[in-house]
Amino acid sequence: MGFFIKLAWRNIFRNKRRTFIAGIAIAVGLASLIFCDALIRGMKDNLIKSATASFLGEGQIHARRFWETQDAEKTVNNLPTVLDGLRSEKDVELFTLRTMSLGTISSPANVSSVLFVGVNPETEQRLSRVDDVLEEGSYFRDGGKRDMVLGGDLAELLEVELGDRVVVTVSRAGSGDLAQEMFRVSGIFRFHIKEMDGSFAFARIDKAREMLGLDGGAHEIALKFRDNRFALDPGNPFWDTYSREGNEAVSWTALLPELTRVMDMVWVALGFLAVILFGIVVFGIINTLFMSLYERMFEFGVLRAVGTRPSDVRKLIVCEAGALAVLSIVMGSILGFVLTFVLAQTGIDYRGIEFAGTGFSELLYPVLHFSQFIIYPAAVFVFTILVGLYPARAAGRLTVADALRKSL
Amino acid sequence: MTNHASDLIVTENLRKDYREDDIVVPAVRGVDLVIKEREFTALVGPSGSGKTTLLNIISGLDSPTEGRVWLKGKPISEMKGAELSDFRRDHIGFVFQAYNLIPVLSAEENIEYIMMLQGVPKNERRERVRKILGDVGLQGMGRRMPPKLSGGQQQRVAIARAMVSRPGLILADEPTANLDSETGAALLDIMRELNEKTGMTFLFSTHDRMVMDRADRIITLKDGRVARDEIRAENPIR
Ligand SMILES: Nc1ncnc2c1ncn2[C@@H]1O[C@H](COP(=O)(O)OP(=O)(O)O)[C@@H](O)[C@H]1O
Ligand SMILES: [Mg+2]
Repeated sequence: MGFFIKLAWRNIFRNKRRTFIAGIAIAVGLASLIFCDALIRGMKDNLIKSATASFLGEGQIHARRFWETQDAEKTVNNLPTVLDGLRSEKDVELFTLRTMSLGTISSPANVSSVLFVGVNPETEQRLSRVDDVLEEGSYFRDGGKRDMVLGGDLAELLEVELGDRVVVTVSRAGSGDLAQEMFRVSGIFRFHIKEMDGSFAFARIDKAREMLGLDGGAHEIALKFRDNRFALDPGNPFWDTYSREGNEAVSWTALLPELTRVMDMVWVALGFLAVILFGIVVFGIINTLFMSLYERMFEFGVLRAVGTRPSDVRKLIVCEAGALAVLSIVMGSILGFVLTFVLAQTGIDYRGIEFAGTGFSELLYPVLHFSQFIIYPAAVFVFTILVGLYPARAAGRLTVADALRKSL
Repeated sequence: MTNHASDLIVTENLRKDYREDDIVVPAVRGVDLVIKEREFTALVGPSGSGKTTLLNIISGLDSPTEGRVWLKGKPISEMKGAELSDFRRDHIGFVFQAYNLIPVLSAEENIEYIMMLQGVPKNERRERVRKILGDVGLQGMGRRMPPKLSGGQQQRVAIARAMVSRPGLILADEPTANLDSETGAALLDIMRELNEKTGMTFLFSTHDRMVMDRADRIITLKDGRVARDEIRAENPIR
């Protein structure tokens, strides 16, 4: 076997140009797969970050059925106990309290529905990135009680600018009476996410509680963990621990199920890409191997005549396919690494494109992973060997006398 | 047909028809031959007379349309697949007109090839290669790649490869056809010498006078039949 490997390796360099062309075709296919894998990983990281870091958090706690009913009374139960618990969780990096209510917002020019969110600016700006995407103004910097930060689309609709006044109307907890307050626009953000830019308005949580008639309560606790993989595990006991006493704790994967589904679909798409690339590569390999087989017909006749078994001739062709694969894998892995590495440094600008309800708010950085240089090369190797079986079978079957009459 | 112990090749009413579409080309039409061990025999005849076809059938590279071939008492015309490959490997050495050698293997590696298939240990292979290179007058040239050897040297490497595994029968189809007559004659002298030294049987085809003059026996084919079978000089060993 060792001898056939040596012979195969020398044979593929007999026609360097042809080997190089076939090798490059396979290498480009392999490099594409490595790069796409890295891109998907980067995209996934980016999406998780966009989805969770923009506002959602990696996990949330509310009173059960708060989302379904949007009932202002349904504040987090046993809040002091829950907060004490969270403070002692070593996996929790930080959390922030919010009130959330649907209402209307009006300006002299227009009126719109609004998701009115009361936040604690100090903790909120560490968890969410609203403060990072301000187009104008500041994020509750100058202690005005009536400051409001709202989305860019909403500001356009209301035709308001920094310093202008808006009026927010919500219904109070318990009584359901309408409460109305005037706010001053102190910041305008733009996430490039339609839902957020067009319907979110943030105020200080104290003011919001006052309006809603909540005494120190909150509708939502948004969480950030020390390791973002923590939230990816739905079986984590953390969720059960905080889903007691009428509360429910959920991870972002449950809040954005379509996002996880889309990620799965992206992997399936990569699978299709792989099939197509391999399909193209098949022709390259088969063509190369058959061409070299027909060129060397007489030589195979000699090999068979002097006593090489048909099975050994097949072995030789398979080894040649393997040698071609190894050569291509080395080229393709280097190519894939360099391409991915360079773009992982510079990043790819995808900002503003919406995807699965979330936007890319940062540059997209492809992520290199050692598995990319094991799985795909191994697949290419196995696949090339399998494809090589076809010309190998043909070589094993040739009639020696006919082969010897060929060419010269 | 009775087989004698010294009969190396026996053919019995050998026929070969090639079929091309509906046309049947009879290439060998009833050949009965006995070649004894140690013979140094030339197969002659004009181009198209069936020399190559006959040699191919004798060595099991092709199968006869009719008739049978025994080699060392074994019916080679009935063998197939790996059994046939192994039989050729162990009992027949081949020399073709040209391009005998694998161009990516050195002279040494070409000569080693069959022994490698046989599983001869490396040390013994090396020793036998060294010795046979001397026998064919190529000492010190083992590392050369075939394209770096002259036509005559390549044919000598081919003879070395054919003989190094000690097969008992060497079949050579026009081994000198691509050489000038002087080089061809020299090659024949080497074959002759090895025939006498080792006792291996040689059967070679040719249409070169100088070459057939060196044979002990000349079998002339014409239109696929044996037209003449002439024993010219008794082989001294026989
Ligand atoms: N594969 C083949 N198909 C058809 N005819 C063939 C084939 N091989 C040889 N022949 C024919 O058989 C006859 C004998 O050929 P061959 O054995 O090559 O003769 P030689 O070696 O004496 O020149 C010729 O007429 C040749 O054309
Ligand atoms: Mg011929």
